[in-house]
Amino acid sequence: MPLFETCMHDSHVKLGAKMVDFAGWHMPLQYTSIVSEHNSVRERVGIFDVSHMGQIFVSGAGASKFLSYVTTWNMSRLSEGDCRYCHILDENGKIIDDTIVYTFSNDNFMLVPNASMVTKIFDWFNLKSSDFDVMIENKSDEFFCFAVQGPEAPRLLRQYFNLSITPFKLVRSGNMIISGTGYTGEKGYEIMGPLSESLGIWQSFTEMGAIPIGLGARDTLRLEKGYLLSGTDFNGSQTTLESGYSWVIDWNHEFIGKQSLLSQKEDSYKLLKGVLLEERGVLRPGLPVYLDGEQISELTSGSLSPILKRGIGLSYLDLKVGTTVNILIRNKQLKGRVIQTPFL
Amino acid sequence: MSEIPKNLSYTEDHEWVGPNENGGIKVGITDYAQDSLSDVVFVELPNVGDEYDQGDVMAVAESVKAASDIYAPIKGKILAINEKLEESPELVNESPYGSGWMVLMEPSADMPELLDAKSYQNSLD
Repeated sequence: MPLFETCMHDSHVKLGAKMVDFAGWHMPLQYTSIVSEHNSVRERVGIFDVSHMGQIFVSGAGASKFLSYVTTWNMSRLSEGDCRYCHILDENGKIIDDTIVYTFSNDNFMLVPNASMVTKIFDWFNLKSSDFDVMIENKSDEFFCFAVQGPEAPRLLRQYFNLSITPFKLVRSGNMIISGTGYTGEKGYEIMGPLSESLGIWQSFTEMGAIPIGLGARDTLRLEKGYLLSGTDFNGSQTTLESGYSWVIDWNHEFIGKQSLLSQKEDSYKLLKGVLLEERGVLRPGLPVYLDGEQISELTSGSLSPILKRGIGLSYLDLKVGTTVNILIRNKQLKGRVIQTPFL
Repeated sequence: MSEIPKNLSYTEDHEWVGPNENGGIKVGITDYAQDSLSDVVFVELPNVGDEYDQGDVMAVAESVKAASDIYAPIKGKILAINEKLEESPELVNESPYGSGWMVLMEPSADMPELLDAKSYQNSLD
């Protein structure tokens, strides 16, 4: 199957980016180096093309009730201009995807699901919407999405849009949707708009000093903060409670998966925890985790923190923070410590 | 265009082999290899005294995204390792033929036939 390309694809290739297949998309892994791109975002400002992500619009008199039913959050608590991170669960409380819900008004919302999940979420919503007065539209092909992230991001937003936006708020400026959201843990924004405007925005922001950042640094930036990666840290088999994101659940409303979560709450279960390598090395997804000579789990995510210069990873563990585990790397058992994320 | 010094020998797996002033054979990875790996963040080197056959995995260079095996280009014993790489693995990127060298080996057999600079260049094209 040919890979999908974002509206910026040819620009990435022209910039000399190393391109890879990511969730069926031909995307930039790195333009220069992952470590230098990572540091650019932590110290200055970077721009990411995340146009592969989806835009699903939900509108109508029943939109708020419907979205409250199919996500972990109660949308009646949101006001115009609010963005809310939450999970979409199946009946067993397992995470199908995580998403941000954008509130345009109390009967008009947008969701931004992960690239590989757009069709699945769209079909799931249609399947579950028969009792609700809603219109569900997948407009993912009509929008670009850029993330501008880093301590200098507010300056760039002021310069270009003459705007300042607080975290988890959104502003509509002309035909653009701009939100105080991101996946790096830095100050930053996500800008969405019609494809025809993408090149102009990209060029303006890079001219103002934003460094193009590939998926490689996007992964190390999010992992240092302990943010979940769809398909890696959850893949249809883990619940919101297990992921350690119980704060995205509003228990005071009915939603798909609630009963399963309520019964899981009464039991003990593994929780996604950070693993910080205490010896030199790089952690990788899938590496086995040992306790007292017995394999107890494996890493979901794993990499090296460019800031800490230590191996970092995530793993579903039934262990207390501070416990020492061993990670098997190339037939060697290396010491790691269970920690509460974020790493940074 | 990657740099390929004329005075060194090469393997198809992108190791270089060169003479050392005080004896032994110096080994590292080529400019092409460090560029493909990008950002070397960790190098696992063998122990001094370890013996390898030609083609054995003797070290690993890791970037943020991938781990890459480094093969013994000759049969021999490890005389010394570049201990600076423990603190500064980025030397492999900055100076793959200089301060980013990896091990010093003592050949324990006749030197095998390796690629010269021109043949190595051709293998990259």
